[in-house]
Amino acid sequence: MLAMIGLAYAGLAALCLGMDRHHRQVVGRGIKTRATLTLRLAGTTILALSFAAAIASDGWVFGPVAWCGGLTAAALALVFLLPYRPRLAMALGPVGLLIAALAA
Amino acid sequence: MKTGFRQSMAWAHGWAGLVTGWLLFAIFLTGTLSFYRHDITAWMRPEWRPAPAIDRATAADRAEARMQVIGTDANRWLIDLPDGRDRAAHLAVWRDAGHAPRFQREEFDPAADAPVVARRTYGGDFLYYFHFDLQMPSVWGRLLVGLAAVIMLALIVSGVIVHIRIFKDFFTFRPQKGGQRAWLDAHNALGVLALPYHLMITYTGLVTLMFLYLPWGVDLAYRGDRAAFHAEAALAQPAPRPAGRPAPLVPLGPLIIRAEARWGVPAGRIDVYRPNDAAAIVRIHAADSSGLAHRRHQIAFDGTTGAIVAIEDGRPAGILRAAMYGLHLGRFAGPGLRLLYFIGGIAGTAMIATGLVLWLVKRRPRRQRVVEGLNVGAMAGLVIAIAAFFWANRLLPAGLADRADIEAAVFFASWALAAVHGACRPHLRAWVEQLGLAAVLYAALPLVNAATSGRHLGYSLVQGDWPMAGFDLAALATGLILAALARQLGRR
Amino acid sequence: MKALAIASRVLAAVAGGYALAAAIAASAATALPGQKAEAALIGIMLGFVAYTGAMIWAFAARSAWRAWIGLMLPTGLLGLVAWIGTIA
Repeated sequence: MLAMIGLAYAGLAALCLGMDRHHRQVVGRGIKTRATLTLRLAGTTILALSFAAAIASDGWVFGPVAWCGGLTAAALALVFLLPYRPRLAMALGPVGLLIAALAA
Repeated sequence: MKTGFRQSMAWAHGWAGLVTGWLLFAIFLTGTLSFYRHDITAWMRPEWRPAPAIDRATAADRAEARMQVIGTDANRWLIDLPDGRDRAAHLAVWRDAGHAPRFQREEFDPAADAPVVARRTYGGDFLYYFHFDLQMPSVWGRLLVGLAAVIMLALIVSGVIVHIRIFKDFFTFRPQKGGQRAWLDAHNALGVLALPYHLMITYTGLVTLMFLYLPWGVDLAYRGDRAAFHAEAALAQPAPRPAGRPAPLVPLGPLIIRAEARWGVPAGRIDVYRPNDAAAIVRIHAADSSGLAHRRHQIAFDGTTGAIVAIEDGRPAGILRAAMYGLHLGRFAGPGLRLLYFIGGIAGTAMIATGLVLWLVKRRPRRQRVVEGLNVGAMAGLVIAIAAFFWANRLLPAGLADRADIEAAVFFASWALAAVHGACRPHLRAWVEQLGLAAVLYAALPLVNAATSGRHLGYSLVQGDWPMAGFDLAALATGLILAALARQLGRR
Repeated sequence: MKALAIASRVLAAVAGGYALAAAIAASAATALPGQKAEAALIGIMLGFVAYTGAMIWAFAARSAWRAWIGLMLPTGLLGLVAWIGTIA
């Protein structure tokens, strides 16, 4: 479950950073299209891995339920941290990947 | 209305949200806390320490022995075996007219082979029943909650329709902008990010009481014979007629072992029809926590020979219903998933709260004193009332006979007092004062625990007693969060 | 008057919506193929969805009249289906 949440946060953070508005929030300047596409691809892939982690740990019946819950928790954490500590919120993305790697 | 689709949806969402918001807040908050109702009950009965758990077959045998003592002349016994979270077995006995008492209940600890002896309290079940029953007589509470739930679904749908830039604004929260923008962002975020949860929990909530709300199909198709429907849907079987001849009941333990061997999951509930009669039937159900589909697996045994009479593993629509029932109760959830359920519920509660505040903020500088008073009273007041409930639990003498009802009375009285306070005080002051009071009440609960029982936080942490420690820690955290909120508001 | 129109829509949403849900539950149980018990369960579950949709419709419809007609027509039809299902 820890791996699933870590990956979910990292994936969402990547998708978030790929948006111009939030890129400005974190980095201070706008984002280029290529970077957006890269981050979106990365984010989606990581979210898919998060789903796989959920199925791996909880099976096909409970896994999807757990995944939805994990996404929600990760998303809430990201969105409510972002306006107050934008760089920390983004830095936690790679931390999420690390946690997932360790938990696997 | 000559306005467009989105405008009419926005209008309807705002007004329907206002009218049902306070009730929905109460339903969501008490329902969310109910995910931990067994732990709450444990904290509210610190003198009962469950003995180390034993295997279910032995537990069943001991429960059966206890039933032979307290359940004589019964036409039905019901035994709910303990599971990881609820450490007591629940025994229920029904008798025919002419034998008193007609209905009897007891909490029994099979591991200690003795009934549970503890102070009288409704415990966490008070909040659990309140969230769908509202403590109203007969079915009125359930009907009201059901209507609120359908309106909630419509609120969610209309909310999504109104939220035009749902993808663009997915991660958007701008508290620095203040005022309407900040509150709307928060309301949207809490709604969208937990959208699957909100839809799931509301719809499945309706499903749990589906036969109360829409019995017409069953009544029409079965010409009023609801028992026939329940039998065909494998939801309940009619009780067998008594044979009139006494016959010894088979030991239940071996039946548990056989059932669990067949299913591969734990057994949870034992239904004995016509115990100690030649026509006895023992129906064993899989445990609530064993799978998503609630109590889907059942085996009926002959009560005197132990032969298998019927096996039920559910049919498609029945399994779908059972899965939805299971999703709502969340009994299948382990600690991690349970916490996620809780987070979803808090998000829903906060979504409703931000919506109610937004309703007022949107209309500034126009004031709406009635709504202001109701907002504070209904929301902060409920938070205070729950804390007061826990305080009453520890301050009332343990031996007092009516203490369970007095605890409930304290809950309602506190809520009412808070409502009056909210109506009398200036709006912002009312919020600050009530949130401040709530903060103190919650943060002090671990101290109240230490002062009124031997199971204080230090002790429970060392012992690894997570229900007790978790309650104290959660209360402390809640107090700190409420204090921070009160301070934020107090600065204005 | 506007207040009357609003009240009418609210009534349509709450009462008319319930009538539609009941009609769906009843007609599904008697008219859907397959096991009666299964059909009845599906009918109830669909009924809740219909009730929600009805509430949206009651306020999305261009007039209070349309709101009512849009709910009463299907309710009537499904009620007929339910009744036929009991005879057949």
